[in-house]
Amino acid sequence: MPLHEFDCSKVIPERKQHAVVKGREEDLTSCLPKGYLNTIPGSISERGCAYCGAKHVIGTPMKDVIHISHGPVGCTYDTWQTKRYLSDNNNFQLKYTFASDVKEKHIVFGADKLLKSNIIDAFKAFPDIKRMTVYQTCATALIGDDIEAICDDVMEEMPDVDIFVCNSPGFAGPSQSAGHHKINIAWVNNKVGTVEPEITSDYVINYVGEYNIQGDQEIMQDYFKRMGIQILSTFTGNGSYDDLRGMHRAHLNVLECARSAEYICDELRARYGIPRMDIDGFGFKALAGSLKKIGLFFGIEDRAQAIIDEEVARWQPELDWYKERLKGKKLCLWPGGSKLWHWAHTLEEDLGIRIVSVYTKFGHQGDMEKGISRCSEGALAIDDPNELETLEVMEKLKPDLILTGKRPGEVAKKVRVPYLNAHAYHNGPYKGFEGWVRFARDIYNAIYSPLHQLAFTDISKDDFATDKGFMTRRMISDVDLDDEVKNNTELREYTGGFDSVSKLHDREYPEFESQSAPAAAE
Amino acid sequence: MQETIENKVGDLLSFIMKNSLWQFNSRGWDRRKQSEGVLTKVSELLCDEPVSKETPADKCYYAEAQCVVDGFNKNFPWLKDLSKDEIKALIHQLHERLDYQTIDASLNAELTVKNY
Repeated sequence: MPLHEFDCSKVIPERKQHAVVKGREEDLTSCLPKGYLNTIPGSISERGCAYCGAKHVIGTPMKDVIHISHGPVGCTYDTWQTKRYLSDNNNFQLKYTFASDVKEKHIVFGADKLLKSNIIDAFKAFPDIKRMTVYQTCATALIGDDIEAICDDVMEEMPDVDIFVCNSPGFAGPSQSAGHHKINIAWVNNKVGTVEPEITSDYVINYVGEYNIQGDQEIMQDYFKRMGIQILSTFTGNGSYDDLRGMHRAHLNVLECARSAEYICDELRARYGIPRMDIDGFGFKALAGSLKKIGLFFGIEDRAQAIIDEEVARWQPELDWYKERLKGKKLCLWPGGSKLWHWAHTLEEDLGIRIVSVYTKFGHQGDMEKGISRCSEGALAIDDPNELETLEVMEKLKPDLILTGKRPGEVAKKVRVPYLNAHAYHNGPYKGFEGWVRFARDIYNAIYSPLHQLAFTDISKDDFATDKGFMTRRMISDVDLDDEVKNNTELREYTGGFDSVSKLHDREYPEFESQSAPAAAE
Repeated sequence: MQETIENKVGDLLSFIMKNSLWQFNSRGWDRRKQSEGVLTKVSELLCDEPVSKETPADKCYYAEAQCVVDGFNKNFPWLKDLSKDEIKALIHQLHERLDYQTIDASLNAELTVKNY
């Protein structure tokens, strides 16, 4: 196996099993790093904990819910607002975060009474919200508070409320991925099937593993509505608590982030016979294939094709403007989990960018299988990297851009490598055809920002020309471009507005005749 | 000749590994079921044989298979010159190599975990 040993990790020999280089003749039988294991002592990991995975990633994007952590206030604070999962109810779930505020005395004397009074106080403070999720944390798991019993008490006293308990303390697994698993299984065990949803279409889906980052879910929802498809629930971005209780009535589970949400799809398939269809919502070709595939399932592929034709005609010239200026750029694709395979081949195919490294913080070997299959030869694939290793990669591979989270992103900026936020985005949404152009625009702006040149000038010491302005992005990007491309009037920069989502709220959708309408009474 | 067929199977396999996701379900038994379901329908579609769409699972395999076939036809025009028997033999080999790479010789230690 083509293992890669980092110079900085020679003192941690086990790390060698966690990085590989994809060679010319390599396939998955010879090229796959270890994954989803406890972080090796001595390696300063960038992972989150299982509580964070359950609450921050999956639980809190649910929009009409009081999300309360049973534990120290720091746990809930550190998982608040750092990911832009918007909602169409004025972002209630982003504005507020709740905790039982456990202190040392509660560790000694118990925190169950404290939790109960805080739950009731929270419902009284927000009387319009009747749904709640309670998240276990390390401290309260260790003292053994019986959260289920407390919540049952509250629901008996307040019959109009419903509470979901997520028992995923921080120590419950190697990384946040363990929390994804626990909340998936807890939801299907405790809540799915407890509400009967209203079915309004012949074509009904659950949209799963979609977290509405900067409006991603609303972009995809627009396509589905134009196809006449009813989204019964979204798990969980912009998702409603009660809609998610009715997941068992869908005809198809459309799965985006298999890393965080395949478990509930697999369980819904086993328990209710609902098939699981994995899709890519990013990139022109991959998204078009995904819409077509959903259309084929329902026998409405012509509706999908009409959307694809319209969107591609509108946005392809703008994507190609960026492609001409981004071809051959080297990029490190360093997200948390699923984007390493959602983005690897689409960035190469749609924009001509070369992926020189992929990593995953909490992904499993299955994610690496997808990522390594989709990226090109020579890419360095790393599992659970530490900060020194990423610095070594940046020094040796000299990428033009890093796509990663804000913590490693700030490290990259310190060594003057531009980065874009792969988790919460810079100027998203990035899903959809227009979204992919916005992403290309952000990549272009990051790579060609004049700041990278200006930052090398120390205006207090260096001589610099006072009669010249700085180089603009366009001056930098077009310096080696053919005149034919420069003067091409077909291609153009992004022309969408600052906000690409709000305009969808006023759109009128076609009404399709139902194929399964009951026959008229005789 | 044998080398040519192996190359062709390799090209088809690379296309699936790069563009599809259905072959990567998280457990070995599930992957085997997926590859059987989808590739059976790929073979039927390429040979103009009737394709069953009776059950939800059938419809899902069909949708995935049709996308694979569309990609094959677009990227590998030599497929049109093959007889039905040759196509079936080719997809059979493709199925074997896919199962070998993603299941039987896979380095993924989670494929044999009992629960999801």
